[in-house]
Parts: sequence; C-alpha cells; structure tokens
Amino acid sequence: MRKLIISTVIAATAATGAFAQSPSDVAKARRAYFTLVGFEMSTLGAMAQGKIDYDADVASQAAKDLAALTGYTMSDLFAPGTSNDDLPGETRAKADIWADMPGVQDKGMAFYQAVAELNGVAGNGLEALQPAVGKLGGTCKACHDDYRAKDF
Amino acid sequence: MSEPLNKTYVWDPVVRILHWALVIAFATSWGLGKFGPNIMTLHFYSGYILAGIVVLRLLWGLFGTKTARFATFVKGPGKVMAYARTLPSPTPSRSYGHNPVGAIFVVGVLLVLTMQVMSGLLADPEDYINVGPLAQYVSSDVARKALSLHEPLSTLLLLMVLGHVAAIFWYKKRKGENLVKPMITGYVDLPKDKIPH
Repeated sequence: MRKLIISTVIAATAATGAFAQSPSDVAKARRAYFTLVGFEMSTLGAMAQGKIDYDADVASQAAKDLAALTGYTMSDLFAPGTSNDDLPGETRAKADIWADMPGVQDKGMAFYQAVAELNGVAGNGLEALQPAVGKLGGTCKACHDDYRAKDF
Repeated sequence: MSEPLNKTYVWDPVVRILHWALVIAFATSWGLGKFGPNIMTLHFYSGYILAGIVVLRLLWGLFGTKTARFATFVKGPGKVMAYARTLPSPTPSRSYGHNPVGAIFVVGVLLVLTMQVMSGLLADPEDYINVGPLAQYVSSDVARKALSLHEPLSTLLLLMVLGHVAAIFWYKKRKGENLVKPMITGYVDLPKDKIPH
C-alpha cells in the first residue's frame, strides 16, 4: 500500500513536470530557444560585418544549426498565458502574438525561408554570406518590431 | 507700425545651412526608421550625418556669431514669461535672432536630438545587423534601455517639430511675420531700437 502511494506520488510529480509546466517554465524555455538562435546568428553577424574572419566551415555549421532550430516545434513554446502581460519581467513577448497568430506565422515563415537561403550560400564565400545574413537579420527585426517589447 | 524698418543680418550661413541640413537629415532619419528597409544601413548613415549637424551646431552655439551663441539668446524665466505674454498679441515680435521662448525650443530640441543620437548608437535590437556601433561597449541592460528610448524619443521629436512649424504658422498668420525667409536669406526687417550695436 505504501509502495503504491509513493509510486503514485512520483508518477503524479513526473506528470506535473512533463505535462503541465508553469508559464514561467515556458517563458524560460522560449528565451533559451532564442538564445540559441542568437548564439548562431551572432557568429554569422560578426562574420558578415567583418568583425571576425570569414570561415566557410564555421559559417556553414552556424547556418546548419539555425536550420535545425527551425525544425523545432514552436507551439508549446508559445503556450497561451505566457505573454509579458502575464509574466512581467520574465519575457518580452507581447500579448499581440496570441492576438495575431497568423501574423506571427508569416514572420516565422520569412525567418524559415531566410535560414533556408542562407544554408544554400553560407559556404560560398563572404560576398555570398553577407546579403543572406542581412536578409535573415531583417526577419529578426520584423518580428521584434511588432511582437517583442523593447524592454522587460 | 509706422516705424522705419532696416534690413538686418541675423542668421549667418552656418546657422542657415545647419538648420536646413537638419531638416533634411531629421526627415530622412525619421522616415527610414519608421518606414525604411529592415536592413537599416541608410538610417544609420543618416543618423551619423544628423549627429554631425548637432555637434557642429553645439560648437557654433559656443564659438559662433552673436545670434548663434547660446549665451546671447538663452534667457532667464523672467524674460521668458515676459515674452510669452506677448505671444497671443497680433503685433510682430521683431526679434533680433532667437526670442526667449524660441530659445527654449532650440536648447530643448538639441538636447533631445543628442539623447536620440546616443540611444541609437547604444541600441541593440538583437537582430545582429542593425546593432548600434557603441552597443558592444555597454551592458545588454543599457543597450536594451537605449533601444526602448529610441522610439519614444522619435515621437517626442516629431511633436517638437510640429510645434515648431505651428509656431512659424502662428507668427505668419497672427503676427504677420515671415520667419522662414530670414532662415533662407539671413536678413530680417527690424526697427532701429531692436538692433543691438
């Protein structure tokens, strides 16, 4: 009987962890996701602006990692109830995201396509990399402008 | 009104050229910021030009000709209030250079423009292409604060410009004074007692 109770408690705890994560956890994971996007983008941006030397392998790898990140399912990262209205100080994601999902998806599609284009050219030299990184950065900005608060 | 008016030189070429250059640079920077491409290279260049204009005007305000110097036209609250009381009247002001109320705008707009230039230089929108050139030297908190100031300040500047233009219209319609022409030609018509020696 005791064993049953213990295992039930463990199962319930695990289930809570797995299936009903708190809004704060969602925001944390979402920011972690974009930290990874930024990490790869930072390398590409620095290369495109000549702050670090162009390296075809490094550029291709960063582009490939971004492509891997575009394969991530975003819907759980954008669970309802996780905007900056709900979680002030924890996220800059505006409530407009949930009010205008089609708009967000358009921006996401532009990002996806820019990453795909980048993957086609990242290894082909600095001249080829620069416009692709510029275009990709532009898709970052387009979404930040509309859907991300400037500060916490 | 029967007083004889003398064609008087008030605005030197530096003041006039910087004024109209600022008009162009502000309109360009503002328009590109709001409606320009997502790759904001032109906005950046336009902002650098604007920054140069502001720096030159500040220097000219210290070392320039008489009407250009802050020391000449910035007045205390007493003179400002006294001049403000004459604003509604339909008589021309016949000011030699900036009037005491206009002086507040001049100092104010240069101050806000300086803040706007600084916030732009420090802003980091985290898109890795439109990062302010000085953002790398400050913490991400500061870069974010700069970013969050840059847009509200642009709105404030637009309101200031609209107020400035509204004042020009007021002087024209109510007081019968054309303030645009002197800023182009450098000359304004003044009675003798308004011209300092």
